[in-house]
Amino acid sequence: MARTWQGRPVLAGDIEGEAAVSRRGFNTYASFFTSIHVPSGSAVCADSGNADLYGVDLAGRILCVPKTTGSTSSGAVWLRLVTLGNAPAAVLFSEQIDPPAAGGLVVADIWSGSRIVTIDRLGVEFLETVRSGDRVEVRSDGTVIVAA
Amino acid sequence: MFLIVVGYTMVYGIIVLEPDPVAMEPSAPTVELTPFERDVLEGGRGPVPARVMRTVVSYAEALRAERLVEITGDGHFVITYALPGIAPSMAMLEELVAAGLKTCRPFTLDPLPPLDFENWFLEPEQVEKLGKMYRDQALYMEHMSSLGLQAPDACTCTPYLPQVGNVPRRGDILAWSESACVAFANSVVGARSNRNGAIMDLLCNIVGRVPLSGLLTDEGRKATRRIEVATESLPSPQLLGAAIGRHVIADVPFITGLDRRLEPTGARSTLDYLHEMGAAAATAGAVGLFHVEGITPEAIDDGEGVLLAGYDTYRIDDEVLHELEVGFPVPWGEDGVAPHKCFVGCPHLSLEQLRWWAEAILAGLGERGIGRVRVPTTLAAAPGVLRAFEESTALAGRLREAGVRVSPGCAMQVFDDDLSAGEAIITNSSKLRTYTHARYFRDEEIVRIVVEGNV
Repeated sequence: MARTWQGRPVLAGDIEGEAAVSRRGFNTYASFFTSIHVPSGSAVCADSGNADLYGVDLAGRILCVPKTTGSTSSGAVWLRLVTLGNAPAAVLFSEQIDPPAAGGLVVADIWSGSRIVTIDRLGVEFLETVRSGDRVEVRSDGTVIVAA
Repeated sequence: MFLIVVGYTMVYGIIVLEPDPVAMEPSAPTVELTPFERDVLEGGRGPVPARVMRTVVSYAEALRAERLVEITGDGHFVITYALPGIAPSMAMLEELVAAGLKTCRPFTLDPLPPLDFENWFLEPEQVEKLGKMYRDQALYMEHMSSLGLQAPDACTCTPYLPQVGNVPRRGDILAWSESACVAFANSVVGARSNRNGAIMDLLCNIVGRVPLSGLLTDEGRKATRRIEVATESLPSPQLLGAAIGRHVIADVPFITGLDRRLEPTGARSTLDYLHEMGAAAATAGAVGLFHVEGITPEAIDDGEGVLLAGYDTYRIDDEVLHELEVGFPVPWGEDGVAPHKCFVGCPHLSLEQLRWWAEAILAGLGERGIGRVRVPTTLAAAPGVLRAFEESTALAGRLREAGVRVSPGCAMQVFDDDLSAGEAIITNSSKLRTYTHARYFRDEEIVRIVVEGNV
């Protein structure tokens, strides 16, 4: 059984993957602090304050968050992750995308040529519904289909 | 483009839901550009400026800005370190420099990397590792100078101190990064900046434009949360900021109850307090602006008028702060353990704070009849502040003799979980505690520990 949601494509694209869900603000810098230095192929969440994702490998996942928090250094993190090849495949925001995430994801897109598909404004109910491990399909018009 | 939904009907195996009202709003409008902006975007000034402008315009679209506005104040950027992942790559910088680009106005940068090794009590292998990590730092700073860095040592997270001189005016339009600085510029100075991310800060300042959105707008600066501070005395700014940030996340709070405890607006102690509080709030959440009743400029002008209708209220008392503090992770050690190192100065200390720490540590040593601290300790401040400290007081020499070092560097780059693995670090910084395995203690407790040597 699947459920469908509609958001706004910020960086449009068609992609499928496995959800990794943070129900609280996602601290980008704290999460990827250890993943940006070494090309290991993985991006294990290092934010001990995030009970939902701490220790979870986020490389290639469909990251589902309300918005991002923490240091503005995070702007450069996304570019580094796509360069290393261990970025999430997509980031889905339940709220309006915040400036550090918007800036970082746009810079990564334009200056690396590798896109992290980004959808925002999916709504509170989306984040309350989607669970880590769910299969998620993202379409370029902002449609998000969650298969439980 | 919006789905189709009526209750929980099953359509081809898909449950279709009532659409979210927020998501039903129109998608981002096309950004309205001036002839100059359009000319740059279309390549009239060359391919690299066009790429920079395309990045800024895409940023504006993502933020649903209707247009760009001109930057009116100097820049401050978080990108000091020649480390891909927290700064532009060298290739990107070289592309910008080779195209002859500069920022529209001078800029300052965050604190320098900890390459003044003697001030950090490092092991040889740590020195070697840092040297390798920052092997490109000199070239990186050359590029930063080419792009408009105010001065070679204009590197601190307190750019608005008089010893540094990047002081915005109220109402200035900025494209700053460094969460602590953005919070201070917006809240205490009354300038206007969003929390721009690393790299986008530089690119906006190169084209001299920033999207008109969020904290740049009157509406975006209204408070939606009311915070009542009801503690018995003035609380630790680090704890109060963390409590506020955790509660409001990215919303704008209106804080009451502090004006009874703080000295009037403009007093150095108040500015320092608000800087520490803002840094902690920005780290625990994403606070880019706070209003303090009777203290910060927009709250002085409008009082409760800064609050939007429908705001909620959250009370912070001593019990709330105690629960927060005891809930911090204890990454190492039990009581009685001797820490390996102590760090104070994240964010950087003002001259007055530096003097307070020097006097407190020296007094603690004197009371116990001890000559030197038992925990190797580093205090950090802007290069200009450190010069003033050396020149204006004998405290600097006495502090050195007591085994305490001062540095213009950034502790985040020393005490990360990799470089300092296994070391027991203590700090009074909520920010450093968040990003490393450093353990938090209040100021007075830090003084006792460094003097006595045990937690």
